[in-house]
Parts: sequence; C-alpha cells; structure tokens
Amino acid sequence: MEYLTLQNIGLVTGFLLILIGLYGALTQKNILRIIVAFTIFDAGLNLVIVALSYIKGRVAPIIDQTTGITNLSEKFVDPVPQALVLTSIVIGVGVTGVMLTFALRMFKTRQSLDINDFKETKW
Amino acid sequence: MVSPVHIVSIGLITAFLLGLGKKSQQSILVLVLLIATAAMTMISGSWLIGIMTGSVQPTDVFTAGFKPPFAINLRMTMDEAVLTTMVNLFGFLTVIYLFDVLKNAGKHLLSIIVVFLIGLNVIVMTRDLFNLFVFLEITSIATAGLMIMIQDSKSISAGFKFLIASSVISGILLIGIIFAYSYIGNLNIDFMSNLSLIKGGSVAVFLVLSAIILESKQFPANGWALDMYESAHPAIGSALSAVSAPAVLFVIYKLMPIVPESWHSLIGLFGLITFTFSNFLATRQGNIRRMLGYSSIAQGGLMLTVVSMSTFFGNSFWFIILGFLLTNFFAKAGLFWLNGMVNSDDQNKWGVLRKRPVLFFLFGAFVVAIAGLPPFPTFFAKWEMIMQLANGNGWGWIVLILLGSIFEISFLFKWFGRVFHAEEEKINDIRTPWFKQVPVLLFGAALLATSYYFVEYLNFDVLFVMLPLLIVTVFFAIDFLPAFVKNLLLIASLTIYGYLIYPEIDGNVMQLVFMGVFLVGGILTLIPGFTQKGTRAGFYPFAAMTIFGLIMLVNPADNLTFFMGWEQMALGSYILILRGKKAERPAQQYMLFSAGGAYLMLAAFGLLLHFAGDTFFGHLNGMLPGGGVVFVLFALAFMLKAAAIGLHIWLPGAYSEAEDDATPLVSGVLINSGVLGLFWIATAFGPQQLFGYDIYQIMGWVGAITAIGGNMLAIYEEDMKRLIAYSSVGAMGYIIFALSMNSKLGLLIALYYMVLHFIYKTMLFMSAAGVIYRTKTRNMYEMGGLIKSMPWSFIVVLIGIITLAGMPPLAGFAGKWMFYNAVVMKGWYLQGTMVFFSGIVAFLYLYKLIASVFLGQLKDNHRKLKEAPFVYLLPQFIFVIAIMVLSVFPQVLLEPLATIIPDRIPGEALHWDGKLAMTSFGYWNAFSVMSVVIVMFAVIFGWLVYHSRKAQKVKQFNIVFAAERPFRPETTHVSYNMFAGYKKALGWLMTPLATRFWTGVSDWSMAIADKMRSWYTGNGQTYAMHLLLYAFVLYLLISGGKIL
Amino acid sequence: MYKNMFIIVLLAGLGILLGSFLLTHHANKALPELPAYYADKTASEVGAANVVTAVIVTYRGFDTLGEVTILFVAASLIAMFLKTSKAPKDRHPRPSSVILSTAQKLLFPLIVLFGVYVFTNGHLTPGGGFQGGAVIATGFLLLLMANPQAEFKHGLLNFIESISGTSYVIIGILGAILGLGFLDNRFMSLGELGTLFSAGAIPVIYSLIGLKVGAELSNILHHLNEVQNEA
Repeated sequence: MEYLTLQNIGLVTGFLLILIGLYGALTQKNILRIIVAFTIFDAGLNLVIVALSYIKGRVAPIIDQTTGITNLSEKFVDPVPQALVLTSIVIGVGVTGVMLTFALRMFKTRQSLDINDFKETKW
Repeated sequence: MVSPVHIVSIGLITAFLLGLGKKSQQSILVLVLLIATAAMTMISGSWLIGIMTGSVQPTDVFTAGFKPPFAINLRMTMDEAVLTTMVNLFGFLTVIYLFDVLKNAGKHLLSIIVVFLIGLNVIVMTRDLFNLFVFLEITSIATAGLMIMIQDSKSISAGFKFLIASSVISGILLIGIIFAYSYIGNLNIDFMSNLSLIKGGSVAVFLVLSAIILESKQFPANGWALDMYESAHPAIGSALSAVSAPAVLFVIYKLMPIVPESWHSLIGLFGLITFTFSNFLATRQGNIRRMLGYSSIAQGGLMLTVVSMSTFFGNSFWFIILGFLLTNFFAKAGLFWLNGMVNSDDQNKWGVLRKRPVLFFLFGAFVVAIAGLPPFPTFFAKWEMIMQLANGNGWGWIVLILLGSIFEISFLFKWFGRVFHAEEEKINDIRTPWFKQVPVLLFGAALLATSYYFVEYLNFDVLFVMLPLLIVTVFFAIDFLPAFVKNLLLIASLTIYGYLIYPEIDGNVMQLVFMGVFLVGGILTLIPGFTQKGTRAGFYPFAAMTIFGLIMLVNPADNLTFFMGWEQMALGSYILILRGKKAERPAQQYMLFSAGGAYLMLAAFGLLLHFAGDTFFGHLNGMLPGGGVVFVLFALAFMLKAAAIGLHIWLPGAYSEAEDDATPLVSGVLINSGVLGLFWIATAFGPQQLFGYDIYQIMGWVGAITAIGGNMLAIYEEDMKRLIAYSSVGAMGYIIFALSMNSKLGLLIALYYMVLHFIYKTMLFMSAAGVIYRTKTRNMYEMGGLIKSMPWSFIVVLIGIITLAGMPPLAGFAGKWMFYNAVVMKGWYLQGTMVFFSGIVAFLYLYKLIASVFLGQLKDNHRKLKEAPFVYLLPQFIFVIAIMVLSVFPQVLLEPLATIIPDRIPGEALHWDGKLAMTSFGYWNAFSVMSVVIVMFAVIFGWLVYHSRKAQKVKQFNIVFAAERPFRPETTHVSYNMFAGYKKALGWLMTPLATRFWTGVSDWSMAIADKMRSWYTGNGQTYAMHLLLYAFVLYLLISGGKIL
Repeated sequence: MYKNMFIIVLLAGLGILLGSFLLTHHANKALPELPAYYADKTASEVGAANVVTAVIVTYRGFDTLGEVTILFVAASLIAMFLKTSKAPKDRHPRPSSVILSTAQKLLFPLIVLFGVYVFTNGHLTPGGGFQGGAVIATGFLLLLMANPQAEFKHGLLNFIESISGTSYVIIGILGAILGLGFLDNRFMSLGELGTLFSAGAIPVIYSLIGLKVGAELSNILHHLNEVQNEA
C-alpha cells in the first residue's frame, strides 16, 4: 500500500501516457494522429513533472493569510517543477503549432496525410 | 566589457522589433539584422580577445542577480568565447551571404535567423540544464523555420521529420532533467557532480546524455539529419554543420563532468563508428548536399570521440579538438556556400567553378582541409589523436579512424577530380555576386590563417619545413605569372635552396644522395616546361609542393615532419597527375593508394611511439624487439609508393596519364621516396619476424615477383608511357629484392639501382615526352623510323635501355655484376634466377621500345617532324653524361654509397683496389670494360660503314604489299600486338589478378554501402524509432546488459 | 506487424527505465535546498506572494524569456509558412447566427478583461502572463469562430507583440543596469507583499508577457484562419 500514493499514481499515469504517446507516434500513419500522439506524450511528461512537486499534506506555494510568512519551506510543495511545467507546456504549444502548420502544408503539396508519402529524400 | 547576456538581449530586441517593419522597408530590416549580428559578434569577439590576451577574466553572469543554483547563470570562459564568436560571426556572414534571399523574404525569416543564433549562444553559455532544454527547443523551432526557407516539398517533409525527431529527443531530455532534479534537488550542471553516484541517478544522467548524443546526429540514428542536409538551402546546411553541431557537442563537453568515467570510452567508440560509417556511406553519394551532410556527420562523430575522451587526451585535447573544430567550421561552411553559388547538387555541374580561379582554389583548399592533408589543422589533429590513442593501446580505434579517413579521401577526391574534369558543355552558369563571395573568401582566408597558426605552434624546423612551405605559398600567390617566369623562379628557388641547405647536410652521404636525387631531379625535370605557353595555372604551386615535400623527407626532425612531407608530396603529385587530360580515374586511384599507404604509415608511427617512444624511425639504429608489425606496416606503405606487385595497379595509369612533361617528376623522381623509406626501415630495424616468418624472406619473394611481373606487363604495352611505367614496377622489384637480402652488398645494390633508375627512367620519360610532343601520340605502332628526324632522342633512349638492361659497358652492368655476387653470397638462388629472368623479359620490351619508335619505316605524317625541343634534350643529355661518368668510374658513386650502410648489416662489403671492384667471388674493372667495348664497337662500326657504303637505302616504296592493301594499316606495324605469342603462352601468369582483386574490393564495398544506406528509409517515423533504438542499445552497452 | 512488436519491445525497455525511477526515487518528506530557499526567501528577496511566479519571472526569468521567444519564433514560422496570397477569398460561409455574434460581442471584452486580470495578478494568485495571454487569445478565437471573415487589425497585434517583447527585454536590461543582474525585478520597489503594486518589476513583466502571448497566439489563430479561408 505504501506505493499507492498520490504522487506515484501521478507518476505511473504520466509514464503510461508517455509510452502510449510514443507508441502512437511510432505506429500511426496519419500525420495528424502522430501529432496528437505527441501531445499525449507531452501531457505525460507534464504530468510527471507536476507529480514530482507534490508533497503530501502541503499547499500550493502562494503566500496568503493561511500560510503566514514563516517556515514556508515546511508548508509548501515544491515550486520549481511547477515553474518548469509552465515552460514545458508553452514549449509544447509552440511545437504542436509548428507541427500542425507543417502538416497543413504537407497536405497541400501532396493531398495526403500519410507519413509514408513523404519519403522523397532517403539513403 | 559588455556582459555576454547582451548577446541575447540585443538579439531578442532585434527579433522583436523586426516585427514592426513593413514590407517596403525590407532592405532596412536586413541592414538592422546585419548590424545586430555584427554587435553580437563584437561582444563575443571582444571576450575572446580579452580572455586570450588576459586582459579580462573568465566570468559567470548571474541572471536576476542571484548566485547559482538559485538562478540561471551564463558562463563566459575561453571555450564559450570561441564558440559564441564562431556562432555569431557565422551568423553575420550568413546574413551577408543570404542578402538576396533575405531582401525578398518577409521579416519573419529575419527574426527566425536571429533567434536561431540566440538559441545557439545560450546553449553554449548556460550552465542550467533546464535552460539548456528551453534554448535547445528554441533552436529546434528556429531550425525548422530555416528549413522551410525554400518551401519545396522536399524541405517541408524533411522539416517535419526533423520536428518528429526533435520531439522524441527533447522528450527524452526532459525526462532526464526532471529525474535529475528529483534526485539532486537542483538544475545546475555544476552542482550535479554527485548525480551518478545516487542510486538511480545514473539513469537520469544517461537520459540527458543520450538525448544530447542523439541531437548530435550519430550514426545510424541520423536519417532525419541527412534529409535536412539534403533538402535545406545550402546556407542552412552550412549552419547546421558549422555551428549547430559544434554547439551540441559543446553541451556534451559540459556534461562530461557528471558522466561516470566508465562511460567515456564507450561514447567515444560510438562517435568513431559514426565517423567511419558515415564516411563509408558518403562514398556512394552523388548528391553533393547529402554527401556534405554525411561528411559533416562524420566529423561530428570524430569530435564526439575527442570530446567524450577529453580526460584521456589530457593536454593534447585542445590541440586536437580545435584542429577538427576550426577546420570543419571554415571548410564545411565554405563548401556549403560554394554549393549555393554553383546551385547544383550534380558533381558534373561543379566544373563551373573552374571559371573562378580563386573560388576554385578555395574549393580545393576546403576539400583538402576536410580530408586531413597538410598543412591544414585536421592533419595535425589527426596525427596527435592517433599518437595519443597509440599511447593508450587503442589499436581498434586507430583502425576505425584510418578506415574512415580513407573513405573520406575517396569521396572527397572523387568529387574534386570530377570538378577538375567536368566537361565544359555540361556546365551551368555560376552566380557570384560580391555578397556571396565575401563570406567564402573570408572563411578561406581564415582557414589558411588557422593552418598557419597550427604550423607555427608546432615549431617546425625553419630551414627544412618552414622555408619550403613559404616557397610553396609564394608559388600559389604568383600563379598569375607566365609559365616560363614561374618555371625559372622555381628552378632558381630550388637551386638557391640547395645551396642553403648544403652546409646542413654536408657529410651525411645518405641525405646528400637523396637530396641530390630530389633536388637535381626536380630541377632537371622542370626544364622541359619552358616549352609551355600561357600561365599554366595551377602547375607550379603543386610542382613546388611535390618537390619540397620530397625534400622534407630527407632530413626530417621527427616522424611528424616526415609524414607531413610525405602527405604533401602525395597531394602535390596527385594534382600534377590530375592535370592530365584523361587522368581523372587514374588520379583518383593514385590518391586512394597514396592515402592507403599514408594511413598504414600513420598506424606504424603510432605503434612505433608505443614501442620505441618519440624517436624518428630512421634513427632507431638497430634492433627493435617485437617490431615486426611496425616493420611490415612501414614496408607496405613504402612498397605502395614503390609499386610492389599487387600494390602497383595505380602506377601505369597515373604515370602515363599525367602531363607528359610532368611524368618524369612524378615517376622517376618521386618513386624514390618509397626507396628512401624502405632503405630507412631496412637499416633502422634490423631483421624482423612476423608470426615466426622472416619478413626479409617474404619481401625478397615480393621483390622477385614484382621484377618479373612488372616486366611481363610492360612487354604487351602499345603505349609508350605505360611501357616505361611498367618497367618502373620491374625496377622497383629489383630494388626491393636487393634491399631484402639484408647484406652490405644488397643494400649497396639497392642504393645504386635507385640512383641509376632515377637517371635512366627520368631520361626515358623525358625523351618519350619529347617524342610525344612532336608526334602527338603515345601509341608506338603509330610511330617508326624516327631515328632520322630525332637522332638525339634516339641516342638517349639507346643509352637508357642499355643501362636498364644492365649490359656492359654502361653503368647498369655494375649493378648486375654486384647482383650476381650478392645473390650467390645470400644463397637465394631461386629468387635470384627469377630476377635474372626478368632481366631477359626486359630485353623484349626494350627492343620493342627502340625498334618500333625509332627504327623501321617512317610514317607519312611524320615526315616533317623535327627533333625534340632543346629544353627537352638538355636535361636528357645531362643525364647521359652522368651515366657515362658512372659507367667509367662507378667508384665515384659506389664508394660514398657504401659508407651509408651501417656496419651492423651482415655480409661482405665491396672492396676497391684502384679501379678494381672486388668481392671474394671475383673482380671487375669498369674502366677496362669500357675501353674494350669502345675499341670493339669502333672496329665493328668502322667495318660496317666501310662495307655498306654502296648499299642502297630501302625506302617505303621499295616494299610491295603484294597487291593487297591491309584493312587497318597500323596492324601491320611490327609493334602492333607484338609478342602476341608470348601473351598466349604466358598470359595466365599475368592475368590482372591484382586489378581483379582491387576491383572486387571496390565492388564489394560499394554493394555493402548501398545495402547499409537503405537503412535510411526516408520515413520520419522510422527515424524516430531509430532514435529510441539507439538510446536503447547505448543503455544496454553502458549498463553492461543490466536493465537497472 | 513485426515492426509494431519491435516497437512494443523498445517501449517496454523504456518503460522499465522509467519504472526504475519509481523504485529508486523517494518521495520528498522535506523540500531540498533549492526549493526551500525559494519558499523561504521569495517574500523578502523578490516580494511576490506567488512563489511560482517569483521562480518563473525572476529566479528562472531567463527561461521565461526563452519561453516567450519560443512562442515568438513559432508564431513567426507559422506566419512565414502560411503566408497567404492576396487573392480574393472565395469562401463564403454561412453567416453565424445572431445569438452567436451577439454573444461574442458581449463576451469578447469580458474575456479580454479577465485575461488582463489574470496576468496583472500573476504575482499574487495562480495565473500569470502565459495564462492571461492564453485567455485573451480565446477571446480572439471566439471572434474568429463567430465571424470567420472578420478583418483583423493584425497590424495592431504585431505592434503590441513587438513593443511588449522589446519592453520585456529592456526591463531585463534595466535589471542588469539598475539591479544586480539581467531580469532582476528588484530595481523597482518591492512594495508591500500581497498588494497589486508589489514584487518590483514582476507585474510589469508579467503584463508585457501577457500582452505578447495574447498577441502571438491570436496572430497564430489569425493565420490559420486565413489559410482556411484560402483553401
């Protein structure tokens, strides 16, 4: 039972999402689905990051009346992963947007979204 | 000093402000971008200069004013200064280079370019892992943006493949960073040194490291990168190769302190595999950009090796990495830029570069620099790397490097040769506006300057290395002058140089002899060049390079100097050969075999360092216990140059296809470098064993077979130059055989033959050149009866072949006489007989040479031929005089030569009693032999003249064809298919076994390479899987098979 | 099929690697030094009530600058890639219903206002520039959904984007000149903890980020919409 903590649930879910995302990215043939798979992959990553900041029984790292201003390091969860996850999400948005744009243009050139149709450079 | 953070702030402000620009102001926007990149360059450059001169201390920039690990810090030391300067300078020049593109592109592209540069700058400077991740992502997206600068379907899909790959890579990286944070509680590399010691921490390190390694495009998980190189605009390919790759490698360098020691060599090995295999696959590339991509990746692999083993390389690390880094930076960028100017990926179309001599020169310099030939930094870096690896017993590593290097040479020089020879009509037009030329010219100059600093740093001998290099450089600079001026200058500088160094080597007979051969040979073979009209652009620098390369071999201060001279000579002669009209393939073969020999030699030097330390191999003075392998490697290398049978297939093509008046230099003179080397190892090492076999015994057989084989091959030749060329193979067989007898007399014969062969072979080739100059053909069956119009040439050939055949009274006989003695003393009767038999074979082709060219019927179209020009005859007669003197007074040469041979060589020496040469078997007096022969000759000649005074001269019309006109008149020529009978009888002996073998090697390697590169399917998804697979395998190997 | 099996095996390998983390990683009982420092010192050093914001904008402000840059470069790429021809649009979708267009007009200012609230209070409450910017962009999304043909003043968006981005960097430089380092927020008065005008330059920076992100995301939406109109 000791493994069944909220943090571990978050981590395992995150890992599973990562693996599912990668599996999708490696097996799906449709470019849009590949992009979706990568967003799942990203979501998994972000979930792992957030899960790591969690400490049982602590509160979000925002100072207000309930927290006071002393001994905060014993009351807050880890603020660093929360900062990192924001960055990671934003990056994910940027990359996804760019990938979608590429997909759009690729569809325009070939009228196809099958990844196997885009192999003009090889060997 | 402006804080390095302002590289970023200036860049970002520019990027953001560019968004305000309007379409009509595009030129101004480009100017703004140019100024911004200039400012960025100046900041990083000022740090570089400041740190180099010591006026500024390396510094850490604390963003937000908090010390690490609480806030992100950027570091600026020498390393970062070098790299950021490279990045920003490159960016600046790219903006110039792309001026026309940028002027018509939107403002967004400008922003993307500057963001790309910022990303790389921060990747280099940051010490924070997560920050690194962020800026890697910035760079990735910016790279994707640059990929679609040309929006065709190829580059778009390559860009998408890149996005997939970089998503996978950044995912792995992010997991690694997060794990690292959760184990160690911070994100700063400098505070993570314990990470791998924590249980589970090594997994975090592995994930981070493997992501960066994947980012550095290691084989075979790099299909996406290749597709990018192939489809991106050349300027972008250049950026990927010249700045992206080094920045990523620098990240690996930064990570090394937190990577466990035990992983270093494995990573290094993976890098080396990339180097070897990428170069291997590049050999099958016809598409220039993709080939350059393979080459860039290969260089990246090599640098990964160096970076990951930085502790192993110790003090040499900086020397090695800078050598590779800077060369790749300047040369690869330059080549990509040239690609953009030629605007074609087809090698045939690159011939257009020949219209722009300066660019063509730089193209050559870039290719040679990447190939790692002197005097470019890669050459020295590679040398140092091999030496260090040898010190640490890394033999497998050395083999991989050398294999990779030979593949590299193969495709680079195939390309170069193609550009040199591509037909005019296939050439497209070249656009070379100033803004495209400036970056290339600058980088070319920078490459040369870097080379200068490397050479300077190594403190070479002034007289024997620096002065020759200077002279060669001068000849590059004055290449615009008319040919005869340069010819005169080169001859003069060789003469003066000889005068200068004479005091240095006076007293050392061996050096005098070889210096004499190379210098005098060089000067004399240059003389026929006075017939050349125009500027003869590109000949003299390389002739100078060849001759001075040879000169460097004579009195080298150390192994490096010798090797440098060797490579320089190889490069120079390669170009001289390549200049021939049909020389593309022969020159390529020559280059490959030269490089093969050179790399064997390099391996030998490595082994030697291991066995005997830092001594020059010629000064070993005796026994080197267990040096059999070293000896064999050296012997192979030198026998390659001396064209021992089996290793000779490059020779006939190379010698015969070279320009006619250059052939004497690249054959008669240059081949002696092989003899020099062989003589040195023979005297320096003493008898050696390999797997229990006596190496000399084997070499003796090789020599004997070479003698027979070379001569047999010569007799069927219809081509005058090929015939003489094959006869060189035979002569080298004699010399190898004589050397391997390992007796005083044997070595003396070898040296004597060397000098003699130099004289008569140079003479014969020159006289052939004279004949060809007049007749415009090399086929002997198209000649005949030239004795009337070219009597002087006839005399030269006659004397040459009498010498060659070793008949009394000329100097060749002395060699033969000693040969009998030596063979009998040694007791090698069977091999000896073979060599004698080869002498008989030699008569056959010598007869063919003189009979079919000078005797018989004069051809109709040759009736008005004149004697060869005076400048051809002059050196020939100098040689004739030399032969005459030697024939009468062989002791003039033989006595000094005997002093070279060390006392420890066994066997009886030649004794002199006045003019009488004696061994225990007999004696011989050259003077009296000559006197007797002259008297006999005079008597018989006089008798003949007297009796034939009334004889009628037979003219062509005296011959009747029996009413039949031959279908092809030339087939009736005596030398057409002469010795066909012999060919029928003995043909099986000389079926081109060697040629077949080497063709097989080449076919097989091509087939394997084709099979291997089908791994790169072109499918982005497959590439993503390769990435995971690579990481998986790397992990299994690193962890030793344990999953955890 | 074999290929998929192979991929599963590969991913299983990766899964084991990830799983190893579960076994070796110990849930924190206390904060490590770095986050503890942030938790304890933020109030006094940075003056922001929201520790995460302090980390994002100040301690790791350089990352955030990078984030902004990523969005910027992504937006630039999309703008460059989807450069639309000036050809007349031949798509004439059915006009949206009155309910939708009216509701959009009503909601748009509210959404923008909410976005502004989110980023100006980023140092006090959950939220901040990115979140606020994203909220603003949803307003634009609504606008586009309601009226795909809407003529956008994207010159204005560009202007906002450029100026806010530039100002952000300039504030960073001011931090270096007036404060202790690039992006230091303390060159402005830290004020009283928990009030709107506190935490030095953080609210300013976050507002600029909010504007920039809002403008960028809206721009991306605009470009995608344009392309759709064209197709």
